[in-house]
Amino acid sequence: MSEAVFRTSPTRARRRPWWLVGISGGLVTAIPVVLIGIAVILIAPTYYQNLAATAAINLVIVVGLQVFMGNSGIAHLGHSAFAGLGAYGMAILATPLMMKRLSIPNAPFGLAQVELHPAIAVIVTLAVVAVVAVISGRVIARLSGIAATIVSLAFLIVVHSMFLHWPALFKGNQGFFGIPQVVGLPAILACGVAVIVIARLFRESPNGLQLRATAQNPQAADALAIDARALRRQSWVLSALICASAGILYALFAGTISPRIFYFQQVFMTLAMLILGGMGTVTGAVFGTLILSIGLEAIRIFESGGVVAGLTLPPMLGLSGVALGAVIVLCMALRPQGICGPKELDEMLSGALRRLRGTK
Amino acid sequence: MEYFVQQLVNALAFGSEYALVALGLAVVFSIMGLVNFAHGEVIGAIAYSLLLTASVGLSSPFLAVVLAVLAGIAVSVALERVAFRPVRNAPTTTGLLTAFGVSILLQNMFQLLISPRPQAFSLFNGMSTTWHLGPYSVSSLQVMEFVVAAISMAALVLFLNRSTLGVAMRAASRDFSTVRLMGIRANRVIAAAFAISGALAGIACVFILARRGGVAPDMGFGLVLKAFVACVIGGFGSLIGAAAGGMLLGFIEVGLLAALPQEMGGLKEAFTYVIVTLILLYKPEGLFGTRRELGDKEF
Repeated sequence: MSEAVFRTSPTRARRRPWWLVGISGGLVTAIPVVLIGIAVILIAPTYYQNLAATAAINLVIVVGLQVFMGNSGIAHLGHSAFAGLGAYGMAILATPLMMKRLSIPNAPFGLAQVELHPAIAVIVTLAVVAVVAVISGRVIARLSGIAATIVSLAFLIVVHSMFLHWPALFKGNQGFFGIPQVVGLPAILACGVAVIVIARLFRESPNGLQLRATAQNPQAADALAIDARALRRQSWVLSALICASAGILYALFAGTISPRIFYFQQVFMTLAMLILGGMGTVTGAVFGTLILSIGLEAIRIFESGGVVAGLTLPPMLGLSGVALGAVIVLCMALRPQGICGPKELDEMLSGALRRLRGTK
Repeated sequence: MEYFVQQLVNALAFGSEYALVALGLAVVFSIMGLVNFAHGEVIGAIAYSLLLTASVGLSSPFLAVVLAVLAGIAVSVALERVAFRPVRNAPTTTGLLTAFGVSILLQNMFQLLISPRPQAFSLFNGMSTTWHLGPYSVSSLQVMEFVVAAISMAALVLFLNRSTLGVAMRAASRDFSTVRLMGIRANRVIAAAFAISGALAGIACVFILARRGGVAPDMGFGLVLKAFVACVIGGFGSLIGAAAGGMLLGFIEVGLLAALPQEMGGLKEAFTYVIVTLILLYKPEGLFGTRRELGDKEF
């Protein structure tokens, strides 16, 4: 009898292992990023190359946000804190000693005398972020939905006020400059693709699937003996590491960082990107970032004022913020799944292919 | 002793302000499960409408207080109608993110339409004088803040216990569908919750303006974050919890301010949030919340 049950589900036999789905699906999802990236590298002027690099860094943050928020269903507003920790980790570890004597001469723990090769600094920074993430993850995973969101917000504020009010180590309100600029657009894009594949791998893995189940129906997941807390902790740490790598990339790309970059402005923007695309899928994260990056750049032309198409416009500060808010509100009201819907890009493509074959 | 009394009054005043705002959040949350991030922008909208009426000639502070409460009710109810009704039956996260979006939208609208810079507002400056109560001198504003907050909370309790609508609201916070089966209009109950929340925001706004003497686009945002924390400590959705959480937060902040050395004053926020997180670790459902209540709201 049990054999009969097995035989009635033919899709079961054809299913590929999850890691294969994750890797191939991730690569398919990353195709638009790669295509646009190559086009920009080949033909765009430097100004647009820089814009594309910033957008690609935002993409990494949004994907990192998706790993926790999309799978666990808990709104996460503290991801920029991890990006900030990553960036400041690089600033403190990799900045040349001569620059450090100007910026943080009295750094505690003997950090004023440390100058690591960027590659080693990346590893040390990620290790430190992992420790912070494991500790904060234990707190977050204990709390239920709203309390977890508020604590993630509290985490953002705690980290930000540490950046501001511990000038001996973080240089306070002023920008931290002189970080070696060793990363360009191609490297950032490569990281973006890698991160997309990692996010897909997590989503398709047994743990990712179980975590999504806890988000959909906590009681049923509980009844199946799924440990929601442990899974939330895992995705929190992974999400933190991805966001931190975005911060690391930003520091190594821009060379200058300040606390303001990693605060509410960035939280709003990346959140709007994820919601626009749809937080349930990595595809949503990718497309949301693409669309909103381009849209915001168009809006910034109006924001700064000046002459557009023969019309003289006054500067309209806050216009991009209004657009971000409107995107979030409208998406939530009209299409809470986001514009990409509940399916990943490769699933949509294979579905379309199957339908084509079926009609033949 | 003098110092102690002053700090006590300080803590009570801060606590009342947080409690007023936190109650505004809790009233809405207890009924429709909405985490209203946009509450701070309701406060902002009230402040800007007072600023506008003052610039066209309003000069009576009493009239301004009435206007603040009315504006709060109007803005809050309007937001419910426009933004929150479409997501009323959606999961908590959807409502939370919508409210977050509304908050960003309004904050930037203030920037765009009025000014990104703070505007001076001096109508309530007369409220702040020094009173001599026996041997102690205290700020009149702080005493008034505490007294007014206590009166409005008492009024709220009276309303919730004695009026039909109030009883319906309390019942709705337990089980909305049964309340609707009793023939009570859902829209009316929810509008009433938003109206109360707006009125409380109006009262809070008067004191914020009197203390700060100015209006800025993000004036409500930081305050609402604190009020959220107050709600979470007290147990989200519990009205007593919100009031108690607000008071506790006021005491934590003033205590830290008094205890921390001068050069670490900037870290007050960080320490506050760390303490709050520790409280939550000890009691994840908040001081006055229960597991069952949280479970009901989640699903």
